[in-house]
Amino acid sequence: MQQSSWQGIKLVFRKELVVGLRFKAAWAAMLMFSLTTLACVSMALQGGTLEPRLLAALLWVILFFASLAGADRVFADEDTAGTLLALRIYGPSQAVLMGKMLYTFFLMVALAAFITPLFVLLLDVTVTAPGLLTVALLLGCGGIAAAGTLIAALTTGASVHGGLFSILMLPVILPVFLPAISLSAAAFGGGDSAGSYLVGMGLYDLILAVGASLLFDYLWYED
Amino acid sequence: MVTIRFEEVIQRFHGRTIFGPIQAELASGRIVAVTGQNGSGKSTLLKLAAHLLLPTAGRVVVMADGRELVGDSLRRRLAMVTPELRFYPRLTARGNMDFLLGLRGRALDETAYQALLERVGLREKEIGTAFAGEFSTGMRQRLKLAVLLASGADIWLLDEPGANLDAAGRKLILREARQAADEGRLVCWATNDEREEAAADAAIKLAGH
Repeated sequence: MQQSSWQGIKLVFRKELVVGLRFKAAWAAMLMFSLTTLACVSMALQGGTLEPRLLAALLWVILFFASLAGADRVFADEDTAGTLLALRIYGPSQAVLMGKMLYTFFLMVALAAFITPLFVLLLDVTVTAPGLLTVALLLGCGGIAAAGTLIAALTTGASVHGGLFSILMLPVILPVFLPAISLSAAAFGGGDSAGSYLVGMGLYDLILAVGASLLFDYLWYED
Repeated sequence: MVTIRFEEVIQRFHGRTIFGPIQAELASGRIVAVTGQNGSGKSTLLKLAAHLLLPTAGRVVVMADGRELVGDSLRRRLAMVTPELRFYPRLTARGNMDFLLGLRGRALDETAYQALLERVGLREKEIGTAFAGEFSTGMRQRLKLAVLLASGADIWLLDEPGANLDAAGRKLILREARQAADEGRLVCWATNDEREEAAADAAIKLAGH
C-alpha cells in the first residue's frame, strides 16, 4: 500500500475517532444496548448456570446486536450531517473505506474488551482457554467491521436504512458468527476447538475486506 | 490543459426532463457561467461535470493533456463550492481543513493557514476554537473558499459561490476566480448573479422545461 493511502486511512480513522468521541452517539448506543442485554440475562438467570455453547451464543448475540446499533453509523452520520459530499470530493475511496473499517474494528474491539469481562463476571463463566477466546473475538470483530462498513455504505441514503442494514448484515455475517460461537464455547470449556474454524474465519474476514475494497469504488465513483 | 466535454447530455429525474441535449465544452483558463431559472438544472450540470452523477443519456468526458480523467484521477484535480457541501460540525475550521486537504496529501503550516484565513476574510480570533457547526453561513462559505484555494485543484466547480456573502465576499469570489482562470484553471460557476454572469468568459444558458 502506498504511503499516501496509509496517511489517508490514518486521517479518516483519526477523524472518526475525534468526531465519535465528541458526539458519542454510536458509542452510547452500543454500550447501552450491550449493558442492558447483559443485565437482563444476568438477572433472568439468577445465579443459574448455562451450557458453554449457550453462553457463547449469548455473548455473540450481545456483540452482534450491539454492532447493529452502532456500526452502521459510519456512513449514516455523514449523510445526516451532510458531510458525505465533502468526503466524496476530497476523499480517495480506499482511504475512506479502510479508515472507516479500521474505526469500526476499533469500536467493536473496545466494546468486546468492555463487555466480555463483565459477561464472564456476571454469568460466572469459567474461561479455560483465554487465548482462544481473544482470537475468536478479534476475528469476529474483524468480520463485523468489514461487512458492517460495506453494508453501511450500501444502505446510506435508503429511507429504511436501519432495517435494511440489519437484514443485509445477518446473512453476510453468519459465516463469522457460527464459528465464533463454536470457538467461544470451546474457550468456555465446551469441547475441543477446531483449528479449521480459526483459519476459516480469518479467510472469510479477508474475503470480506477484499470484496468490500473491490466493490467500494463502484459506490464512490460515478464513472 | 483540462477540458470537460458534454456530449449530447440529457438529464431526467423521475421521467421529467431537466435539460438536454447539451453539447458544450469547458476549458482551462476560462470562466464559464451556467445560468437559468430555478430548477433548470444548473447544480445538476456541475454534478455531472464532477462525475458525482451519471447523465441519463450522453457522456461527460474530462480530459487532461490527452488523457481521460475518471474516478480518483478526476477527484484529485477538482474542488467544489456548493450549498450542499457541509463541514464536520464538531471539528474546528483548522480540523476540517487539515482533514480534507490531508486526504489530498496537502498540509498547511501555521503561516500558510493564517495567510489563507486572511485571504478569505476569516479572523482567527473568531473561529480559532469554535466548531464549524457554530459558524454563520457567510463564514462557512468563506471556509469553503479557503479549502478550494488550498486544495490546489485545477478544476473549480462553483454553485452560487456568492450566496450568503456580503459585498466584500462577492468581490473576493470574482477576484479569486479571475486569478484562477488566468493561472490556467478551469472555472465553471452556476449563478443567477448578474455580476458573476458578466464576469464570465462564456455562458451555458439552461432554459428549463
